[in-house]
Amino acid sequence: MGIKGLTKLLGDHAPGAIKDVELKSLFGRKVAIDASMSIYQFLVAVRQAGGDSLTNDAGDVTSHLSGLFHRTVRLMEMGIKPVYVFDGAPPEMKSGELQKRTEAKAAAKAAAAKAVEEGNAELAEKYTRRVNSVTPAMTADCKTLLRAMGVPVVEAPCEAEAQCAAMAKAGLVYAMASEDMDSLTFGTPILIRQMWAGARAGADKKGVKPMTFNLEAALSGLDMTMDQFVDVCILCGCDYTDSIKGIGPTKALALVRKYGDLSAVINALKGEGKYSIPDPFPVEEVRELFLSPKVADPAGLTLKWGEVDEAGLKALLVEQSQFKEETVTSGIARIRKSMKNSTQGRLDSFFKPVPGAAASSGGTKRKGGPGGKAASTAGKGKAAAPKKAKK
Amino acid sequence: MFEARMAQATVLKRVLEAVKDMVNEGNFDCSEEGICLQAMDVAHVSLVNVLLRGQGFEMFRCDRNLALGIQLANLSKVLNCAGKDDAVTIKAEDEGADTAEFMFESAKGDRITTFELTLMDIDSEHLGVPEDTTYTAVIKMPSNEFRRIISDLSTIGDTVTIEVSKDGASFQVAGDIGKGNLCIQSNTSADKPSDRVEITMEEPTKQTYAMRYLTFFTKAAPLSDTVTISLSPDVPLVVEFNIGEEVGFVKYYLAPKITEGDLE
Repeated sequence: MGIKGLTKLLGDHAPGAIKDVELKSLFGRKVAIDASMSIYQFLVAVRQAGGDSLTNDAGDVTSHLSGLFHRTVRLMEMGIKPVYVFDGAPPEMKSGELQKRTEAKAAAKAAAAKAVEEGNAELAEKYTRRVNSVTPAMTADCKTLLRAMGVPVVEAPCEAEAQCAAMAKAGLVYAMASEDMDSLTFGTPILIRQMWAGARAGADKKGVKPMTFNLEAALSGLDMTMDQFVDVCILCGCDYTDSIKGIGPTKALALVRKYGDLSAVINALKGEGKYSIPDPFPVEEVRELFLSPKVADPAGLTLKWGEVDEAGLKALLVEQSQFKEETVTSGIARIRKSMKNSTQGRLDSFFKPVPGAAASSGGTKRKGGPGGKAASTAGKGKAAAPKKAKK
Repeated sequence: MFEARMAQATVLKRVLEAVKDMVNEGNFDCSEEGICLQAMDVAHVSLVNVLLRGQGFEMFRCDRNLALGIQLANLSKVLNCAGKDDAVTIKAEDEGADTAEFMFESAKGDRITTFELTLMDIDSEHLGVPEDTTYTAVIKMPSNEFRRIISDLSTIGDTVTIEVSKDGASFQVAGDIGKGNLCIQSNTSADKPSDRVEITMEEPTKQTYAMRYLTFFTKAAPLSDTVTISLSPDVPLVVEFNIGEEVGFVKYYLAPKITEGDLE
C-alpha cells in the first residue's frame, strides 16, 4: 500500500508540495486514474443501509458499478477528462506483499464471522468491509461500463500506478489520481489524492477536498534528486521489499542525506550491525522497478473520449444490474451535456504563470514561510527574498 | 505603512461587485503604482485584472509592496456599510499585518465607521498576460448596451458566437428553444461620445465563448460608460472597462471555446 509515512514526511519537510484543491480547479484536465484501486474503494465504500453491498437480483455485488458510474459522471460534469488504467500482472517482487494482503483478508473474514457470532454488529461490519476483493468478473464489468460511457481505458502491462505515472510524465495527462503514495516514487509530476471523496455528492458542503502532491516541489523541499527520493521511499518501506525494522521515514531521510544513496546506506547499516537488514534486500532491482517500471509506451497510446453507448450502458446497468432506469438515463444526459462543455479551454493554457510577478505577494506572509507553491513557481521564493532583505 | 483615501467609496464598491461573483478570494497587491488585483475563477477559464492607480486616490502612500489577501465576500460585507457619498480610507501595516482597516466617513464628516478586516494568506498563481497582443477585431460600445445584449441572449443559450465582419458585429446563440442573432453596427456620429459604437476590424473574426463568464463581466458595467471588447482567433477574449479618466481599469480575459477538431 504505497510508501510508509511518506505523506507525513512530505508534510514535515516539503509542505509546499501538498495542496488542497477544489475539484473544479481540475476543469479541462485529463487525469489518469488508478482503476483497480478505485474499484476496490467503491466496493468498500458504496453500501446500503445496514452495511450490505449493493447487489442485483442474482445476488452479485454491484457496488463497484454504482460507484464507478456515478462518480465518473460527476468528474465529467466538473469538466475533468478521466482515463482509467487497470493493473496487469503484478511484478514478482510484490508477491510477498500480496501474500500478506491475502492473509490479512483471511484474518478479517475469520474476525467477521466471530463478531457475527458474538452479535457485535459494529465490529462485524468493520471486518466484513475488509474481506472484499475485486474479482476478474468485476474488473471486466467495469471496463465494459467505462467503454460504454465513452471513457478511455488503458491496460497496464504491470502496475497501474506505474503506467499512470508514465502517462503523466509524458504529458499525455495532467496528473494521476490514486491513494498510493508510491505514485510519486514512480515519478508522476502531480498526484491527486482523495479525488473520489471530493467527487462525492455533497463533498463541497462538507469541505472535503482533493489534495495534490507536486513531485518537483517535494524534491526541492527535501533537497534531493529523484534517485535519492526513490532511495528514501524504499527505506521507508515499499511494496517490493520488507522494511528494515527500526527505520522510519525520518530516519530514512536522514540516512540518505548522510550517505548519499541507498547502497551506501545499506553498507553503513550492515557495518553498524544495529539493524537487521532483510535478506535479500535487492537494492538495484527495487530501484529499477520504480525508475524504469514495465509500462506501455505512452507515445503509443491515444486517448479518445467518445460518444455514450446508451444501449450498452442500459444493458449492463439496468438489465444486468437492476439500476433504476431513470438514474441511468439522467446520468447519460449529464455525460452528454458535459461532453458539450468540454470544448471550453483553460485560460492557463494561453497565459503562463510568471514566477517573478508574484513576488509582491511575498511581502506580507502571515503564516508559514515564503510561498512554497507549485514547483513551477519555485523561483517565487527566491524572487521574494531580496524584498525581505530590504526590511 | 500603506494608506489610501478615496473620495468615493462607491468606486471601490462597484469594483467589488464586478469581481465577487467570479472569484472568491484574491491578493490586492499594493505598490507605488496603485492597488492591483489579479484573480481567476475556480475553473481557471477566466481571469480578472483590476488596477486602481495611486493617482486616482485623494491620498496614496505605499512604503513597501504588500499583498492584502482578502476573501471577497467578506470585503463586500464591509463595503456594504459604506454610504453613497462616503469617503473610504484603507490602512495596513507593512509587516505581519493580519488585518486591514477600512474607514468610511460621511460627506458631512458626522459619521465615521471603521472596520478591521481579517486578511488571509492566499496562495495564488500570477499569470503573465501578454501586453502586446494585436486583436483582429475590436468593438467599443456603451457598457449598458453590452450588458443588455448578454443578459438577453443568455436566456436563450449558454454559449455565444461573436462574429465581426464588414457588416458589423453579430452575437449568435443557439439553445433548446431555438436560435438567435443580434447584430450591431458602427455608429460614430452619436451626440454623446459614450453612446457611440466603434467596430474596427483587421480581418473577419469569429469565435465562441461561454455565456456564463460574459455575464460575470457585465457586472462591471456601472463602473464605466463604455466597454471595449477585443477578440482574435484562438486567443482569450478581452473585455475592458476603464474607470474614470485615469483612475484605473477592470479587464477580463476569457478562454475561447475550442472547435471540435482541435479537441484532442
